[in-house]
Amino acid sequence: MSLLEARNIKKSFGDTNILKDISLDVEQNEVVSILGPSGSGKTTFLRCLTMLETVDSGSISYCGEKAVSTEGGKCVYAPKNDLKRIKGYYGLVFQNFNLFPHYTVLKNLTDAPVTVQKRPEEEVTAEARELLRKIGLSEREDRYPHQLSGGQQQRAAIARALAMKPRILFFDEPTSALDPELTAEVLGLLKELAEEKMTMVVVTHEIAFAREISNRVIFMDGGYIVEQGTPSDVIDNPSTDRARAFLKKLQAQAEPGRQSLHPPVDDN
Amino acid sequence: MKKIYMIAVSVLLSIAAAVTALPAGAGASPADNGTFTVGFDAEFPPYGYKDDSGEYVGFDLDLAQEVCNRRGWVLAKQPIDWNSKDMELKTGSIDCIWNGFTINGRENDYTWSIPYVDNSQVVVVKAGSDIDELEDLKGKVVAVQADSSALAALTSEDAEEDDLALAASFADLQQVGDYNSAFLNLDSGAVDAICLDIGVASYEIESRKGFVMLDESISTEQYGIGFLKGNTELRDQVQETLLEMAADGTFMETAEKWGLSSSVCLDKDTVIQDDTSDPSKEEEPLWEKLLYIVKSLSEGLLSSLAIFFLTLLISMPLGLVVAAGRMSKSKLLSAIVSIYISVVRGTPLMLQLLVVFFGPYYLFGVRTTSAYRFIAVIIGFSLNYAAYFAEIYRSGIQAVPRGQYEAAEILGYSAPQRFFRIIFPQMVKNTLPSITNEVITLVKDTSLAFAVSYTEMFTIAKQVAAAEATIIPLFTAGVFYYIFNALVALAMNKIEHRMSYFR
Repeated sequence: MSLLEARNIKKSFGDTNILKDISLDVEQNEVVSILGPSGSGKTTFLRCLTMLETVDSGSISYCGEKAVSTEGGKCVYAPKNDLKRIKGYYGLVFQNFNLFPHYTVLKNLTDAPVTVQKRPEEEVTAEARELLRKIGLSEREDRYPHQLSGGQQQRAAIARALAMKPRILFFDEPTSALDPELTAEVLGLLKELAEEKMTMVVVTHEIAFAREISNRVIFMDGGYIVEQGTPSDVIDNPSTDRARAFLKKLQAQAEPGRQSLHPPVDDN
Repeated sequence: MKKIYMIAVSVLLSIAAAVTALPAGAGASPADNGTFTVGFDAEFPPYGYKDDSGEYVGFDLDLAQEVCNRRGWVLAKQPIDWNSKDMELKTGSIDCIWNGFTINGRENDYTWSIPYVDNSQVVVVKAGSDIDELEDLKGKVVAVQADSSALAALTSEDAEEDDLALAASFADLQQVGDYNSAFLNLDSGAVDAICLDIGVASYEIESRKGFVMLDESISTEQYGIGFLKGNTELRDQVQETLLEMAADGTFMETAEKWGLSSSVCLDKDTVIQDDTSDPSKEEEPLWEKLLYIVKSLSEGLLSSLAIFFLTLLISMPLGLVVAAGRMSKSKLLSAIVSIYISVVRGTPLMLQLLVVFFGPYYLFGVRTTSAYRFIAVIIGFSLNYAAYFAEIYRSGIQAVPRGQYEAAEILGYSAPQRFFRIIFPQMVKNTLPSITNEVITLVKDTSLAFAVSYTEMFTIAKQVAAAEATIIPLFTAGVFYYIFNALVALAMNKIEHRMSYFR
């Protein structure tokens, strides 16, 4: 059984068709990277999968439970209580971190598990401290988000998502709001997660990174999946002109930052 | 900080002292520019008031006109706020107070003309009420005009024993700003009786329906023309002409025209008596006066504080509900709330207070009680401030980034959890500066409660200023408000500082 099954997703805003017909299955322990030029619909696809946007048609299930299905042209979401449970299967890491500014780093990690999942506070706090130790932010647990660097904020945001124990974690361009040197520390953390067999779907522009950690790479353009396959198939031997042109442009930009794949483990 | 307050207080007090020390006797004669300026309360028929055509007319104004005609002066009719009459006179902006002005109890405060009206203080009740004689007023709520002869007759140091005992038997003695308000109160049941001059009573009973005068009267008093103390020159000129008018019958004709023939007391045989005032009476020392003022204002401050805190306590949470309605997905609800906000913000708070207080009676016929006065003030203020707070909250909520909602959504927070745990703290921080502004405005707005005759600090300041014939109480009230607001600002600053742990 796939962790995620998305079939024939269509989405338009007004007259603009953003997602024309997209299907994606993600298996346990798989790392999927989604590449594509801006406006190709990557972010919208992610927002549909995480139900921040509603789809116009198609179906989405997590762990075999239907969140949305389309029958006879009519798109139906699961009842509220089912949806609530299904939403617990996944987490999302935002481009802009969206940490809660009025909570300390530790509280950012513990608040949702305690108030939403109703788990005991001591247990949650102990787990959160372990997560912070792992991402090198133990010293910073009492700081507020604005006292952290961008890279530290994004790592805290990832830890916040992990504290909810999701089965699958989505990343929406997790490094595009960061300077190159800060990018490295976040990508380093993602790599560690991949090594620990965390199931992940990552929308990114970091091609070298995608090649290194992904089991599968998807290239999107114009609301469709244009190519998908292993990193070497899609990144090194793209079969379409569009993918080739896009990758060439991106690689030219990314070249100076390649050594950043091996970041320092410690935070500054 | 303390030092600044001390400096501010001493500066205000020295201004106050300077103003009260303005030279007396300015504007000694209207002959200087040929204009005789009469100060009068434009809500005191039939002596001086605004008639249906918008003209200032009345018995006293007719008399003043005739005096001017005979003396070759130009008459200027200057309506004044009754509480400010002494300041007007002292600063020379009026030459005299000629407006059913009672001599009794004020003998030493002005240079008086001879009395020309003898007036009694009577009691007016609603027709068909169970009050037939003075004794029946026991346990009732009675209204008088602020600083009126009726108030003096019932409460002043010179009042008769009987009258003091009578006043003590009332459930409450309410001071109202003007007679229109007094009769609205009586009509709606907020008060049970009004004590007032017989001339005014007769006039009001005739022009309004459904009121009667008790046969027993409270006291007798005399009206004269009040000039600035020491201005005998002008007094003598006016008085001479007035006596001339009495002698040739013009005075009585005018009295008949205004239905006052039974109360006037000048006739052909009136002669000038000695000046009744006693210039040897000593002035109170300034500090004693200040002490009295501060004490009086402190009593009013409690009422102002009650309005302030209750209004905040109700309007701040209510504003949140209003803001929720304003941002509701229901178009109907949102539209209704928008209209409410625009009406509240688009009309004077004073008018809103009047509507809340008198509305129940005039719209629905519900009898108003005096206890409702304070409730009406709190309702009016709370409804008003809730609208302003709602708009502040709304902007504060909309300033919270979209991503905060989405992060909370993804983490599975329910809508109430999302609002109270994530959005609300950020909203509070966003809105603190605007809320501080609003709270400071509320401190000053509490003075508007006088519109429904609720006695708070500023009302008392005006009353004391009128009674003591000095502007110092108003300045002192200013200092009180300033200190009050300095404390508010300090507190808000502390809160803002507390909230600065996040950005």
